[in-house]
Amino acid sequence: MDPQDLEKLNDMLDNESELREVNTPIKNRFSLPGSLSPSVWSKFKVRDKINDLDKKTRTMVGTLNKIHSTRLESIPTLVDSVRPILTSCGETFAGLAELIPPNQFWRWKEMWCNSLRTAVFAAVLIKYLTNGTLLSLKTTNEILGIKEEWKDRVALSAEDYLHGLISLVNELSRYAINVVTLGSFDEPLKISAFVKDLFAGFSMLNLKNDSLRRRFDSLKYDMKKIEEVVYDVSLRKLVSSGASEKTLSEK
Amino acid sequence: MSSESFQSFRDELDDHSDRRERLIKASRDITNIAKKTIFLLHRVVLESENPFDDRSAFLKAAKQGKQKLTQVQETYASLSHELIGDRFWRYQRQVSPGLQEYIEALSFAHYLEHSTLITFQQVQDTLCNPDGTPVRLRVALFTASCELMRFAISGFSRRGGRSNALDVCAFVRNCKAGKLRCLLAALSLLRLTSFISADLERFTPYVWELNKKQAVTAQSLMKIEDAAYTAVVRSSEYDLSPDVLDDLVNSYLSNQNNETRRERWRDVDRDDEGQDRFA
Repeated sequence: MDPQDLEKLNDMLDNESELREVNTPIKNRFSLPGSLSPSVWSKFKVRDKINDLDKKTRTMVGTLNKIHSTRLESIPTLVDSVRPILTSCGETFAGLAELIPPNQFWRWKEMWCNSLRTAVFAAVLIKYLTNGTLLSLKTTNEILGIKEEWKDRVALSAEDYLHGLISLVNELSRYAINVVTLGSFDEPLKISAFVKDLFAGFSMLNLKNDSLRRRFDSLKYDMKKIEEVVYDVSLRKLVSSGASEKTLSEK
Repeated sequence: MSSESFQSFRDELDDHSDRRERLIKASRDITNIAKKTIFLLHRVVLESENPFDDRSAFLKAAKQGKQKLTQVQETYASLSHELIGDRFWRYQRQVSPGLQEYIEALSFAHYLEHSTLITFQQVQDTLCNPDGTPVRLRVALFTASCELMRFAISGFSRRGGRSNALDVCAFVRNCKAGKLRCLLAALSLLRLTSFISADLERFTPYVWELNKKQAVTAQSLMKIEDAAYTAVVRSSEYDLSPDVLDDLVNSYLSNQNNETRRERWRDVDRDDEGQDRFA
């Protein structure tokens, strides 16, 4: 091969790996920033931002897990404690948007899409727990602090948003059971109505045989689980008459 | 509440999957043309009376091959609007197999013409509009420098693997006339391939799937080495009659083919054609 051409290619690949952090010994990660050359250090940047985001989403999901053992009246306090972390995700996304070169969103997206989906899940769950409504894609973008003008670098795609919604339904099917255990018999009816509405929305999509379709299948089982809870509480006349009429009239 | 937003999600997802299908289809078409070109190149070279004494056969083959590859270039030109901006990265996995195959054919034609490896820039230049302005997407296409790496490997592993054995055998077969010159040709090919293999070794950590391709190249290299060795050893028996030499070559060729077939069975999942990599 022509040595000049070879050098050129090597440079190009080097530049790319600056961002991707390829083949760098793990022990470097634990040494002090000052002991590393700037070029080595820059390799960690994208990975660092994503680790940062992961940390935040883990904290949020961990805290939100407590909804299964929290009485309905204390839920607002719990949700309020998570909100600041959700808002702080914006800073991380801003940092990512700075690092990613223009027009390369789809190239790097794989690296953070799981964390992003979890963040979406946290956002929509918080919204549901606050007032029982669905957070739209646009508002999710606003809450996570993802700006429209970054759309060629960092954006929330419809697919990732939908993945977040499916996680929400998965979580709500568990919540429906636990909320009954904690003595709130009206909640499952609201959850059931909300999830059915979402499911109707998902049924409008032409899904390919991909991960979204496979996860969409799980919605049916979640719905079944929620319906069983609704059946149980209605059969035993545990539901207050006002609540059941309200949900019926909504349909 | 959500019916309208889900309608827009549907449109977005449909748009994506339709474009993806179109690109996969185009990539398959391109692969098809490129493969045919490669066969064409072999055919034209071997058809001529004495290809290894006469460079005009190579040049003729290269010319015809490049002619055929203009079809691919046209297809790419018509695809350019599908891959504007960051879409290139989104559909890279769909575009890549066809692109590799194209570069493979192109590099083979280039080798026949110039006896060197085509450079990154030269490949880039073939993917320009007729008036010389590079299509915007082309530039993007090739910022994916990985492509070139992959191409170089697949180009040579293929030529090395399935066809180079044939090439070398053809060299050997033609040893009847002008043994020495053919030997030199075979050896220069061998050197080129081994250089490339060594050069590419340092890129392996960077490029997706390069490891796999490197293994194939190494295998091919060994085959060429064996062939060259046979040629050297046999040609030292300078007083062999042409018929005997021909027999030797034929038995070597059939051995090679058997081996190749066995290896292919063993390494089905290692095939470098990438047909099932569209997923």
